[in-house]
Amino acid sequence: MSLLMIRDLTVTAPTGQRGDADRVRVLRGISLSLDRGMVLGVVGESGAGKSLLGRVIAGQLPPGFAMAAGRVDFSRRNILALTPGARRAMLGREIAFIPQDPRAALNPVRTIFSQLREHFAHLGLPRHQHRARAIEVLADVQLPDPADLLGRFPHQLSAGMCQRVLIAMAFASRPLLLVADEPAAALDAAAQRQTLELIAAQRRRAGTAVLFITHDLRRVAGFCDRLAVLYAGAVVEEGAAAAVMSRPLHPYTRALELATPSLATRRGLVVLPGHQPGLAALGRASGCRFAPRCPVRSAGCAEREIPLIGDDRRVACQYPERTSRIAPAPPPPPYRVGSGEVLLQVDGLGRRLRAGGVLRGRVTAVLEDVSFKLREGEFLGIVGESGSGKSTLARLIVGLDRPTTGRIALAGADVTKGDGAARRIRLANLQMVFPDPDSALNPRRRIGSIVAQALEAARRPAVEREAVAADLMRAMGLDPALVARLPGQLSRGQRQRVSIARALAARPRLLVADDVVSGLDVSTQAQLLALLARLRASGIALVFISHDLAVVRHLCDRVIVMQQGRIVEAGETERVFTDPQAEHTRALLAAAPPDIGPPATTLLAIPPPAG
Amino acid sequence: MSRFLHPGLVIGSLLVLAVLGAAIFAPLIAPFDPAQQDLLAPLAPAAWQHGGSLAHLFGTDTLGRDVLSRVIYASRAAVLVAVLAAAGAGLIGSLLALAAGYLGGWVDRLVRCAVDVWLAFPPVVLSLLLIAGLGAGVVKVVLAIALVDWVRFCDELLGGVSAAAQSERTAAARLLGFSHLRTVMLDVLPAVLPLMASLFVFEMGAAVAVAAVLSFLGFGLGAHQITWGQMIAVGRLAVFEAPWNLLAPVVAIIATVAGCNMAGGGLRRALDVGRRRA
Repeated sequence: MSLLMIRDLTVTAPTGQRGDADRVRVLRGISLSLDRGMVLGVVGESGAGKSLLGRVIAGQLPPGFAMAAGRVDFSRRNILALTPGARRAMLGREIAFIPQDPRAALNPVRTIFSQLREHFAHLGLPRHQHRARAIEVLADVQLPDPADLLGRFPHQLSAGMCQRVLIAMAFASRPLLLVADEPAAALDAAAQRQTLELIAAQRRRAGTAVLFITHDLRRVAGFCDRLAVLYAGAVVEEGAAAAVMSRPLHPYTRALELATPSLATRRGLVVLPGHQPGLAALGRASGCRFAPRCPVRSAGCAEREIPLIGDDRRVACQYPERTSRIAPAPPPPPYRVGSGEVLLQVDGLGRRLRAGGVLRGRVTAVLEDVSFKLREGEFLGIVGESGSGKSTLARLIVGLDRPTTGRIALAGADVTKGDGAARRIRLANLQMVFPDPDSALNPRRRIGSIVAQALEAARRPAVEREAVAADLMRAMGLDPALVARLPGQLSRGQRQRVSIARALAARPRLLVADDVVSGLDVSTQAQLLALLARLRASGIALVFISHDLAVVRHLCDRVIVMQQGRIVEAGETERVFTDPQAEHTRALLAAAPPDIGPPATTLLAIPPPAG
Repeated sequence: MSRFLHPGLVIGSLLVLAVLGAAIFAPLIAPFDPAQQDLLAPLAPAAWQHGGSLAHLFGTDTLGRDVLSRVIYASRAAVLVAVLAAAGAGLIGSLLALAAGYLGGWVDRLVRCAVDVWLAFPPVVLSLLLIAGLGAGVVKVVLAIALVDWVRFCDELLGGVSAAAQSERTAAARLLGFSHLRTVMLDVLPAVLPLMASLFVFEMGAAVAVAAVLSFLGFGLGAHQITWGQMIAVGRLAVFEAPWNLLAPVVAIIATVAGCNMAGGGLRRALDVGRRRA
């Protein structure tokens, strides 16, 4: 018998529309099993219900959510039937959790040691052994100088170090099962990789089985024994990881794979229409939930619900044989470099910040001697780890910050000083899209009013503003009826498109996009990338800042690699990715998640779907 | 709208509305002219006490004036001072908070420093010092309160203003060509407006209490204005003969201040000030 058996698990939630009576199934008949010492990856986009799985096991469903059916057995005990006391004794000891946000999981006002002690006390470890054991578990996760670390507070540690402390805590009891919910999502590429490798090493030592919940197929592929793909609250495909990756049977899995940019080659991305149904839409949906977006659906797909069929390899599709017919998108247009007039020129740009007090303050250079040129219609990618100065550079270009040294020229005019004249030149030529649409969009403004903000600033009449807003909404693939909504009523991907539409309303010649696709699901990201790629036709130039190398390779003509405020490598995308010169570029490429699926060459041989 | 049905908010708002109604409709509600003397029936007991009559619910004062009518009329001064003082304090505090939070730099440091200094003084003592210099009168009392209590607004708003000022939407507004003033009005001010509303209601309660203290000590609004503080000062002398001369204005003050505090607190919760929906 398996270590963890989930059978016919169904969780319902209120839609919030007609009081408590109107409930939808956010998890539908989930059946999964996990053997001792194995790793099961649960992959799904946000809203698929994957995090609910972990919460069911922890007995912490969000308010309003309820178990409607099913059982969860953990080493032959139905954990849903346990008394709260018995469950508490089991959690943290036999079942450990690693949370998504390491900083939120640690108490900011208590030292690392005091939090470890609390956990050790829960495990029943005698007090006098606490210090030795604490040093031991911290050393296990390769934290430097563990004895010194014990007296520190979480804010004195980096996010990656906090995550290691939590990993150490999770494995302190040598648990039978670890539930890891996006344990690396908040970290940058190198730290992500380290975190995953650490979990892998620790679980091998302790013989722990892992339930790995993630949205990033690429990250977990090499790490899992089995994979389950979740869509709209149900498992659509499950099987051995290698088999699911190399030969997906469900159209959704295949589409996800084809929507993921590749690091090795530059390929087109399959863009699925629409998005995963939300709570309200789930209640109305019938039949196969993926049918409305499915590229190979038949008329009958929407009529009845498709069960998960199969034995070792299970799939919830009537026509799994059609999946392989989903063709990769045509390759994107070739890179465009060289021609056109110079739109933006940056010379020896530097920015120093004074940290600390007036007397004991230190001056640190966040940006040093950055120079590059950007021509009209060119897409320039800027990559680097967090803290490499990418965002500072963006803020300097758009004039939200002033450089300490160096010079910025936009459309042939010097805009370094940032005075009234510079502001007018910037207004006429450039716009910026911000990384976080939640912070960038005023939550109290209607979407239509946000999109037309540039025209409002220029005091254009309301009729014109409405017309422009409607046009841009359509151009961004958004329903123009959404103009009456508030940002909180839109999905994150939709909000990011609104943010882009707002910048385009000012008709810029240069768009600075700071980390606009991070944190988005693969299919949403593909939609957004397609949107940005379409901007090429209008001759707009783009500065695209990202830490996802594959995305930059897909979209940008030229690349700048930054490290600690300096440019370490710059060049045409193809050259930088195939023949990196700088040590740091090679390190970044090595830390990036590997591609998924079979090589693109074999995919091209598959004929396109008929009709 | 169910979030506005919190008991504290409902009860508090009802109390505040009752006081407001009393102030506006005083001539209609009050059984007697508050200045009408009946020297033959001074210090009459309250209606439910021995020898009391329903004609004078809370009895009469030393000059035979109806206590209930005087309490009702005194609410006019209380409401006037509360609204003006809260508006004044809110205006000064909010402007300074907006300037400091939006501009940052030395303006921010200067304002925060002033806030720290102001917070170091006990507010009522500071008001007393001010009024001693200013003299009596409605404007003087309002000034004495506003010049002290602006710091409550400023202190509470600063955080929200700087968060809004540093948010990406403010940066975006500037890049899209909005002037500083329009950016503040459209993207910064709305973010702190709910907090300002709840602070305003809180401040009305505080102003009522401070104004009562001031007029109790003789720094009132002027001889002809009836105030609760002044009624307490007079009623104190006859507390054994006719306790309701003292108790009636005390109850009025407590009800008003408690009402403002409950309404302000409830408003704060209902408008979700400081917390965001995930």
